[in-house]
Amino acid sequence: MSQPILETKNLSKAFGGLIAVDNVDLAIETGKITAIIGPNGAGKTTLFNLITGVYRPTTGEVLLNGEPLTHTPWYAKVLKPILNNRIFKDRLKRHIQAHRRAEMGIVRTFQHILLFGNMTVLENIMTGQHPRSRCGFLGAAIRLPRTRREEENITLNAMKYINMVGLGRQAEQNALSLPLGQQKLLGIARALATEPRIVMLDEPGAGLNTLEKRELSDLIRRIREMGITVVLVEHDMPLVMGLAEWIIVLDSGSKIAEGTAAQVQKDKRVIAAYLGEEEEE
Amino acid sequence: MLKFIVSKWKYLVAAALLIFLILIPFDWFLGQYTSIMIFIGISTIVTVGLCLLMGYTGQVSLGQAAFYGLGAYFSAVLSKSYDVNPWLAMLIAAVATGLFAFIIGYPIFRLRGNYLAMATLGIGLIIYILFRQLIGITGGPDGMAGIPYLSIGGFEFDTNFKRYFLVWFFCLSVLFLSQNIVRSRTGRALRAIHGSEVAAESIGINVTRFKVKIFVLSAVYASLAGSLFVHHLRFVSPQTFDFLGSVKLVVMAVIGGLASIWGAIFGAGATTILSDELLLNLGEWDIVAYGIILMLVMIFTPEGLFVALKSATHWLQHNWRDLPSIVKRKRKELPAIVKSILKRSLLTRGWRKAEP
Amino acid sequence: MSIDQFAQYLISGLTDGSIYALLGLGFTIIYAVTRIINFAQGEFVMIGGMLSYTLAASAGLSIPLSILLSILSAAAVGAIMYLLAIRTARRASVVSLIIITIGFSIFVRGVAAEIWGVNTMRPPLFSGKTPLSLPFVDAVITPQAIWIIGTAVVVTILLHLFLKYTMVGKALKACAVNPEAAGLVGINSKAMALIAFVLAAVIGGTSGVVMAPHILASYDMGVMLGLKGFVAASIGGFKNPIATVVGGLLLGVVENVAVGLNWGPFTSSYKHVIALAVLLLILLIRSGRLASEERAA
Repeated sequence: MSQPILETKNLSKAFGGLIAVDNVDLAIETGKITAIIGPNGAGKTTLFNLITGVYRPTTGEVLLNGEPLTHTPWYAKVLKPILNNRIFKDRLKRHIQAHRRAEMGIVRTFQHILLFGNMTVLENIMTGQHPRSRCGFLGAAIRLPRTRREEENITLNAMKYINMVGLGRQAEQNALSLPLGQQKLLGIARALATEPRIVMLDEPGAGLNTLEKRELSDLIRRIREMGITVVLVEHDMPLVMGLAEWIIVLDSGSKIAEGTAAQVQKDKRVIAAYLGEEEEE
Repeated sequence: MLKFIVSKWKYLVAAALLIFLILIPFDWFLGQYTSIMIFIGISTIVTVGLCLLMGYTGQVSLGQAAFYGLGAYFSAVLSKSYDVNPWLAMLIAAVATGLFAFIIGYPIFRLRGNYLAMATLGIGLIIYILFRQLIGITGGPDGMAGIPYLSIGGFEFDTNFKRYFLVWFFCLSVLFLSQNIVRSRTGRALRAIHGSEVAAESIGINVTRFKVKIFVLSAVYASLAGSLFVHHLRFVSPQTFDFLGSVKLVVMAVIGGLASIWGAIFGAGATTILSDELLLNLGEWDIVAYGIILMLVMIFTPEGLFVALKSATHWLQHNWRDLPSIVKRKRKELPAIVKSILKRSLLTRGWRKAEP
Repeated sequence: MSIDQFAQYLISGLTDGSIYALLGLGFTIIYAVTRIINFAQGEFVMIGGMLSYTLAASAGLSIPLSILLSILSAAAVGAIMYLLAIRTARRASVVSLIIITIGFSIFVRGVAAEIWGVNTMRPPLFSGKTPLSLPFVDAVITPQAIWIIGTAVVVTILLHLFLKYTMVGKALKACAVNPEAAGLVGINSKAMALIAFVLAAVIGGTSGVVMAPHILASYDMGVMLGLKGFVAASIGGFKNPIATVVGGLLLGVVENVAVGLNWGPFTSSYKHVIALAVLLLILLIRSGRLASEERAA
């Protein structure tokens, strides 16, 4: 196996006494579609939040292309010669913030979509181009030629992504005026507009009808063909089994199994975890 | 010809307004309003900053009058007590106020919503108290008089007529620059922060940095307005910059439509005319009016009065033909609408009935 | 500072602190139930104070009757505020709600300025003005200060009993902990919000009535008092009434003892600045936790 694009090592997150993610080691292979499944409360969304930098892990780290997603801030560099001992070594490191991770190519969508309701469909996608453009306050204020060119580029790129998800005709509508299915597609398009290396989809299929789910599967396959690694959390088993090349199963914060669809479906612990849930419901 | 007018009507309207604005201070036109128009111009500059901060980025500031005051006092003290060139004083004031906003920006923008409002209110009050108490520098509650006029070479801005053009030059420049900002990548980032901070961060927007930057920009605008204010009046006292001063600025922004750059002129204009012309001799009723305006606008058109008027005219443009029938229909529904509003506001529904 | 002076400043601190504590309780009750910071909380106090002056000094009613009427009027204003200004603004954002309560507060303040003018008023003292001397130290306490501290103690105890032992109190607490769950078990959250506003107004009006003879009442007393009440409430995290009371007392003591030092910036001209600095300090200390609370929610 080649170098995985994304790894987690001993990753844990505790909220007070509740351990949401417990010592998880993962490796996500480059260019594949990986699904993370598990019963409710298994820690899937928390794991997403840890990988994308919304939460700071209690212990452990996330690695992108083998590099840990931490950095040493300037004041730590100054203090390093003084405090370079075992106690302070780890504390001098800071986890890279969410917005920097997006620039580095890890982008996500949300279970509740979180579109920008104060913008049109097109503007939502244009905002996604943020990390791939540079113009600041001053350039914008006096509208330099460079700014104008950049703005044209952003619009052109946004049109590309808007057509990819088939929302071209709704470009000028308010984002929240779309039906749920199209809102989900818009959320994915906005994420793709950041030109990521990995896109992480949090329950993309929830609330969609059969037809919309089929469109979603097609879209996810096309994303993979663009060379982007896809990680998804999903409850809809047929969707996952049809799409994912690798499946990781979480239960109560720990990884209990991983493998191809066929392997996972036969795993006794997986069956037990899911049956347990059904009994409760 | 008609086609030309229809296709370019926006530019024509803009040109007509500009000519109107240029003609106002001439005595044969609307000369008696020159003074109030200067104040409207100055207030507009502060209001634009507040619109960018509150309307576009969704961050409250209840201490904006303090930045206005900092600009005013820096300009006044430097140009009067230290004989600094007024233009240089203005520049120093803007830089110093901006720097101050930058330094307090990082800690206070760790806060959100209610807490941010209180923090900005607290900072604003501290600065107001300093204006009153540092008597040796600021002249205390009595204020400072005899501040020099601005001048270019030998040309002194010593009449209202001249200062009108100076102030509106600055005002229109600020409006134009701000318009460009909101229509750019930066403007989208600001609106994204208003829409959803978590989502904005997830697509690579450095939320804190943008908040601080827009806060600094709004402070610089306020400082600029403060400098123009003292060089116009040649007098400054702390009263202008108290809590009510900040609330007045919020009223301007709210009337102007929070997320509308050009609405700022409307908001500043309406508020200034209301308090200086209509209610001048009526004691504290202007505060009462502000209170009522704030509540009504926020309850019924949270996006601001100007924006609501704009969408209303837009609606009329499309529906004016059917107006009689719509009115007829609405008249039938009226009792039901009134009833529902009353029910919503006044009648307590059954004690045990759960809310859905 | 001698021990006697310190005791004297401590007494003033506890008196001021009781006032702040009462204001803080008003903030806490409304925030806990509705998640609204009521910028008009200081206005309830002002109404209580100013009305008690009009009724007792001008209209010549007896002190108990004027107190009762003032408190009832403040309660009515609280109810009106909720019904007309807050409840009509459904789905309003935090920013809108802040602006609405500020609008209400300056509206009330403007009306008060029109009715009573801009001068300060002094309602009659409850029980004379002969100061009582304290045992052990050479310091005095005025009867009105005893009334203020006593009111704070009684209100705190009554509020505690109300929240703990009555059905309505328990429902309020349930709303504060989890509004959705409270709705599911049949608690009407709107009625609870109304009760919270009225309760906060009653506490505000009561404190206004009691403090007005001590610190004087004026139409614009609400701003600074409101802010200091907010400091007290933010020490208590807008959740815990007892911590709010402790916070208010602490703020009063810190403020007065700092002024008593009379050193550097710690002088009476900067009394308010000291309180504001405490506010900023607390907000910044708590900001990390506030942010993570929001994230988790």
